[in-house]
Amino acid sequence: MSVGAEQVVVITGAASGIGAATAALFGRQGWRTAGLDLRPSATDLSLSCDVTDAAAVRSAIDAVARQFGGIDAAVTAAGYYEEGIDVCDITRTQWDSMLQVILGGTVNTCAAVLPHMLARQSGTVIAISSELALGGSATDLHYVAAKGAVLGLVKSLAAELAATPIRLNVVAPGPTDTPLLAPDSLWRKPDYLATLPLGRLVRPDEIAATVYYLATEGVMYCGEVLSPNAGAVI
Amino acid sequence: MTGSSSRSVALVTGAAQGLGYATALRLAADGFAVAVNDISDDGRLAALASKIGGLAVPGDIAEQFSGVDVLVANAAAMDMGSFLTQDPRTWWRQVEVNLSGHFRLIQAVVPHMRAAGGGRIVLIASGWGVIGHPNATAYAASKAGLIALAKGLGRELAPQGILANAIAPSYIDTEQLGVDAADAGITLDEMRQRYRELIPTGQLATVEDIAAAVAFLAGPGGSAFVGQVLQPGGGVTRARA
Repeated sequence: MSVGAEQVVVITGAASGIGAATAALFGRQGWRTAGLDLRPSATDLSLSCDVTDAAAVRSAIDAVARQFGGIDAAVTAAGYYEEGIDVCDITRTQWDSMLQVILGGTVNTCAAVLPHMLARQSGTVIAISSELALGGSATDLHYVAAKGAVLGLVKSLAAELAATPIRLNVVAPGPTDTPLLAPDSLWRKPDYLATLPLGRLVRPDEIAATVYYLATEGVMYCGEVLSPNAGAVI
Repeated sequence: MTGSSSRSVALVTGAAQGLGYATALRLAADGFAVAVNDISDDGRLAALASKIGGLAVPGDIAEQFSGVDVLVANAAAMDMGSFLTQDPRTWWRQVEVNLSGHFRLIQAVVPHMRAAGGGRIVLIASGWGVIGHPNATAYAASKAGLIALAKGLGRELAPQGILANAIAPSYIDTEQLGVDAADAGITLDEMRQRYRELIPTGQLATVEDIAAAVAFLAGPGGSAFVGQVLQPGGGVTRARA
C-alpha cells in the first residue's frame, strides 16, 4: 500500500455507527473519504447507494475512482441487525434480505472495487463481520449466518489474491455501541455486559482504529480476522 | 496506564536484536519510556537504550522488575530436532525460556498494573504455536502455551483493566535467517527465497511489521482487544481450525 498524501477510502454504511466512525477517523488522518449508504454520510463524497444493487454499487465505485483518481482502501460496513427471532420464526424474506445486504453488499463492493485496485496493483479491503459469527449466537440466526458468510468470502478472496499486492481481511467487532443496538437490546442489558471481561460495549472508534491499523500497517495480514470484542470471543 | 504527566513505561524482552529491537524503537517513537532487556549483555542493549533514551536492564529480571505499563514478552529460544531423538534437556529448555520465563515476568509486572488501574501485556508467540511444525515440538508447544496463557490472562485480568493478547508471526526477515541459511549450507538470499515460497503472499514480514502490531495492541487503538491472537503471517496460518 502506498503511503502518500490524500489516500482514498470508500466505506459502505458510512452514514452511521461503525461506518461513520471509520470515515471520521480516516478523514482526521488526512484521507479522502467516500461513503456509500442509503442516507447521506459525513464524508468528502457522499453517494446514495443500495449495496444490494450490483450495478448501482459498480456505478458509485467508478464515480469515486473517477473523482479521486483511485481507491486505496474499501471498508464494507453496510448492514443492519434484527434480534429476538426464534429460528423457526425467521421468514424467507427476513433471511434473504439479511443475506443480500450483508453478504451481497460485500460481494458487490468487492466486485466493483477489486478491478480498480488490481489495475493499480495496490489496495486493501476490510470487511466488517461480527464476533457472533465466530462464536455463534441465539435469536439472530440470519444475521449470524450472513456475517459468517462474509468470513468465508473474504478468506477465500484473500487466498485467491494472495500473490497480488491486494490485501483482504475482516474485522469482527464485539457488541458495539451503535444505533444498530436498540435501547432495549439484550446486548445492552447489565447482566450481559457483566459477562464480558471488559464489562462494557465496544466503542465504534475502537473498531475504526482497528480498520485503520489494517489499512495502514497491515500488509502482512492475508485473510485474517481481527476481533476487538471486549473479550466476548477468545 | 500512568497519568498524562509522565510517559507510560514499556518493557521489551529479547531486545538486543531482531523483533525485540525493532519493537523497542517503535514504542519509543510512539512515546513510551522503554526499558530493554536481553539475557545477553554484550553492549547491544546499552547502545539501544542510549539510542532511544531508554533503560537497559540485562540478564534475568523476572524477580526484580515492576513499574511497567506495557510488557512485551518477546524473548525466545528455538532448537529444532526430531521429537523422538532430541535431548530432553534441549526440549524442556525451550519451554522454560519461551513459556515459564514469561510467566514469572508477568507475575512481577501485574501488581503494579493493578495498582495503576490498567496495563497491556503483549506475548510474542508464533504461527507454529497455532498450526505446529515438524521437528519443532518444543517450540510449538511452548508457543501454543503462550497463546493459551494470553487467553487465560485476557479473561482473568481484563476486569482489572489489564489487556493481554498475543501476536503469532510466521516468517520474519531477521538475523536468525542467517543462522538458518548457514545450517542449510545456502546463502541468505537463497534462504529468504525458500521461506517466501512457503508464504501465500510471498512476502517475509519485516521486524517493523511485527513492531507495528505490538504498537497497535499497546496503544490507544488496542483498547478492546482481550485474549486475541494477531497473525501477521502473510497467510501462512489462515487455514486453521
